[in-house]
Amino acid sequence: MAGMRSSPQRPWSTRFTSDQRTCLVAAIILLVVVCVCGALVVSVGGRLGESLASMFRQEEATPSGAWPADSAELMVAVSPGMAPVFQELADQFNRQAQRTPDGQSMQVKPLALTPEKMVEQSLGMPPFQALAPDSSLWLNQLERRWAELQGAGASEAALIPIGDRRVSNPIRYATSPIVIVAWESVARQLGWPDRAVGWQEIQRKATQDPNFKWNHPSTSHASGLLATLAEFYAGAGLTRGLTPAVATNPQTLEYVRAVESTVRFYGEGEEVIIERLAAEGRNFLDAFVAQEQVVIAWNSGARAGLQTVPAQAERLVAIYPAEGTLWADHPLALLELGGPGETAATDNQRRTFQAFAQFLTSTDAQRQLLAAGYRPADLSVSLDEAGSPFADTDAVDWRQPQTTLQIPPAAVVEVVQNVWWYTKRPTNVILVVDTSGSMAGDKLERTQEALRAFVSQIRGERDQVGLVEFGSSIKRFEQLRPQTSQNRAELIEQINGMEADGRTALIDALVEAYKYLQATGDTEAINAIVAMTDGQENQSFYGFPDLEQYMKEEQTVNVVVFTIAFGSDADENLLQNIARAGNGQFRRASETDIEELYKIISTYF
Amino acid sequence: MNRTRWIFVGILLVALVIVGASLIWRAISRSGSTEEGLTVKRPEAATVRVLTSLPVEPWVRSAAEAFNQTNPTVEGVPVQVEIVAMDGLTALGRWDRNDFGALPADVQLEDLSEAEQAALKNFPTAWIPDSRYLVELANASYKERLGRDVFLTDGEYRARSVVISLFTWGIYESRANVLKAHFGEITWRTIHDAAVAKGGWPELGGDPGWGYFKLVVPNPRKNAGGLAAMIAAAGEYYGRTDISVEDLTNPEFQAWLNELMGSVTDFSSASAYTAEDFALFGYSVGDGGQLLESDLLQNMQGILTRWEDPLVLYYPRYVTWFDFPFTVWMGPETSALEKNAALAFERFLLSEPQQQAALVYGLRPANPNVAVNASPDSLFVKWQERGVEPVVPRADAMRSPDREVLLALLRWFDLNVVE
Repeated sequence: MAGMRSSPQRPWSTRFTSDQRTCLVAAIILLVVVCVCGALVVSVGGRLGESLASMFRQEEATPSGAWPADSAELMVAVSPGMAPVFQELADQFNRQAQRTPDGQSMQVKPLALTPEKMVEQSLGMPPFQALAPDSSLWLNQLERRWAELQGAGASEAALIPIGDRRVSNPIRYATSPIVIVAWESVARQLGWPDRAVGWQEIQRKATQDPNFKWNHPSTSHASGLLATLAEFYAGAGLTRGLTPAVATNPQTLEYVRAVESTVRFYGEGEEVIIERLAAEGRNFLDAFVAQEQVVIAWNSGARAGLQTVPAQAERLVAIYPAEGTLWADHPLALLELGGPGETAATDNQRRTFQAFAQFLTSTDAQRQLLAAGYRPADLSVSLDEAGSPFADTDAVDWRQPQTTLQIPPAAVVEVVQNVWWYTKRPTNVILVVDTSGSMAGDKLERTQEALRAFVSQIRGERDQVGLVEFGSSIKRFEQLRPQTSQNRAELIEQINGMEADGRTALIDALVEAYKYLQATGDTEAINAIVAMTDGQENQSFYGFPDLEQYMKEEQTVNVVVFTIAFGSDADENLLQNIARAGNGQFRRASETDIEELYKIISTYF
Repeated sequence: MNRTRWIFVGILLVALVIVGASLIWRAISRSGSTEEGLTVKRPEAATVRVLTSLPVEPWVRSAAEAFNQTNPTVEGVPVQVEIVAMDGLTALGRWDRNDFGALPADVQLEDLSEAEQAALKNFPTAWIPDSRYLVELANASYKERLGRDVFLTDGEYRARSVVISLFTWGIYESRANVLKAHFGEITWRTIHDAAVAKGGWPELGGDPGWGYFKLVVPNPRKNAGGLAAMIAAAGEYYGRTDISVEDLTNPEFQAWLNELMGSVTDFSSASAYTAEDFALFGYSVGDGGQLLESDLLQNMQGILTRWEDPLVLYYPRYVTWFDFPFTVWMGPETSALEKNAALAFERFLLSEPQQQAALVYGLRPANPNVAVNASPDSLFVKWQERGVEPVVPRADAMRSPDREVLLALLRWFDLNVVE
């Protein structure tokens, strides 16, 4: 044993225990692995690490509505009125199949959105990378609100306080002045074309003649906003220098309130008014505020979806207000995204933007815009050349307008928008809601969301909302109440408590709502019923003929009825007949768009 | 050495061989060719990115296309020029916020990762702002950040004007005739008096349909021309070319300027091309204003095509010049090769053919060998009847504003016009 202990050449198998050998082998393997890994890291030069890091960055920077880093697809939010023409031009651009240097296909996808919503969404993480509102006013408003969000500190910290901007590379691709559109016979009564007609004459006519029906869209659209600004200017006796103090002066507000009380209803943009004119003709409106383009489109009958324009329909003419008007200047601008948690527009999307901007301002696209009734941004295109819709007509005049009103700063525009809610024509609206058994589940939940959205959109201090919930009979009848915050909260609580059961007694619910509105005797307000059902009428005591008869006989108060067919099982014929009898509109809705539809209808009030 | 030690030494050697071989493989694979050695990187091509102010952008872009078509090389490397259009003030704001990503003073290019170096690929090689004072303001901003100038004022890389233009009155002829009949001449003072006429155009002898006198001034937050117009108005108000902060804060002057700016119809314009707006919306938005001569000349044909009334030009007593300096960025973010390529493009812009081409855009050549009527297509020849003058009369040039004057004007604008 002693000899064995002293031997220096003992075989290693006998010098280490089995555990020690295992450890040694493991250490050797570990060392080799470390070396190989080290070599790999060196040879790849950190590329692997970068790839991993970029994966995580991508993960971090991928909010909802994000796009791939090499995307060349540009989504453009566009005003609803321009959307059909814009879509056609985008299709033409897409067919050109232009490619980016890395081979991606340049594609433009328009998304119709009211300018107000464009601004709202652009402040967050919008699904679009560019926007084309009907007026630069909205871009200004966006910049102003963006600067507020960024805070004054950022600007003050900079040596040169030129603020960071939310939009860039704006171009204009078309223009159209805002005009008073009237039937030719109405315009002649007002003095057109022999003398200049102004905002004040329209407003005077509206206040003096109870049969004179006119309209301007809500302030969510350029034409509505500009018409409202014109009222504030007229009320203040100015054509420039409108300030918050002047806009909120009681005398100005009184004037605006008096004029607004003559508005038949507000509503969406020009496209819907045109559709209604096509359907109802002279009975619908005598005059309305819109872009000059609408006159050309109507008179040529060329507007998309206007196959119903009667061949013998009277001409519309554009009255360029004597005090001055404003322009819809149709900008197209890129959004400078890329804030915290926000995906920036890719280099390829920027290339698509540039290419599309170039396409929109090309001679061919500009001539198409001219044919659609817009004034092209390309100054080489003459408006009075042969074939131009401005040539050989007195319905529009390319030499006009002679003067414009001053566009107030964005802060004043916001004041006007806010104050308008206090001056607009008040609304009494009854929501008639089907909660029969077939509404159970998702349908009822979507409806409740839509109703909550509707209620939150009604913001006028004199606006009142009521609720009629029905199944086999009327389950709940909430009378009209002004939309104070407490009343609104209570109404929303009632909406939240709705339960689906029973059959469908739509007509009975409508009769009760109609009777109730007649009983209020409130002729100053816009009185309306918004009725929604998902099924067939099968339980009412009254029939449609009773309702129609009643509507004809009882007209102390003018009540407009909107009807909504929710889903494919609704009785569309009946709902269309009700809307026709109630001088309102019929709309279809599904689970995905019912909230949006209720929001749209709310703009009528 | 016992056997165990030999084994460990062997493993260590194997590891060193693996690492060494990997390093050699990496160097070879990166260079792509053993001819260039292991450390020297020679680019296959270079791109010169030129931030270009809007009034000269069409001309510079056209020149860049012509330059690129010559397949230029610098030090044997092919070069291409890329134009990035940006208003001078916007660019200044972006330099000031370091939006382009200039490196801090204590960071070297070699310290950056590949990804960080790649992020600099869009860094501007050169800048053509509207006026030299914008370069000085950008330098002041970087001096505070880096302790040195980033654009040089002397030496080979100094800022050099590539073309020039000045601010002139552009007024619709029908309106100009009424103003001249009423006031005798067109100056900031008479424009102010027209602007404050309570009865509008009828009081001045004009058509009632024209409404009030409407002035066109670019939004100074979006267009360097807006600041130039306000400084020119101040110059005429005080009768001198050098305007101080004290001048601008004088309550009487501020009241006068407020009245003048109160006649501007639209500061909300999305576009920085105010002369283009002027043409697009015609006399409905502006009866007249002091705008860049080249912009007015470029839009003259459009105005004649679109509106009944032509435009006429009048030269003011106090003249503001824009000198459009070509300025090379001197930081490590761009290579020496790119800087030299930028100089090559600058020389191309100053060449006689390109200077003659500038005449077609209504820009006055910086190269003294080229006269304003050197080309038959020169807008200075085409629009002589509309009042354009090859030789500027009565030139008292306004001095460029310093930073304090610029800030005071912007502050005043924000408080009195924007708000």
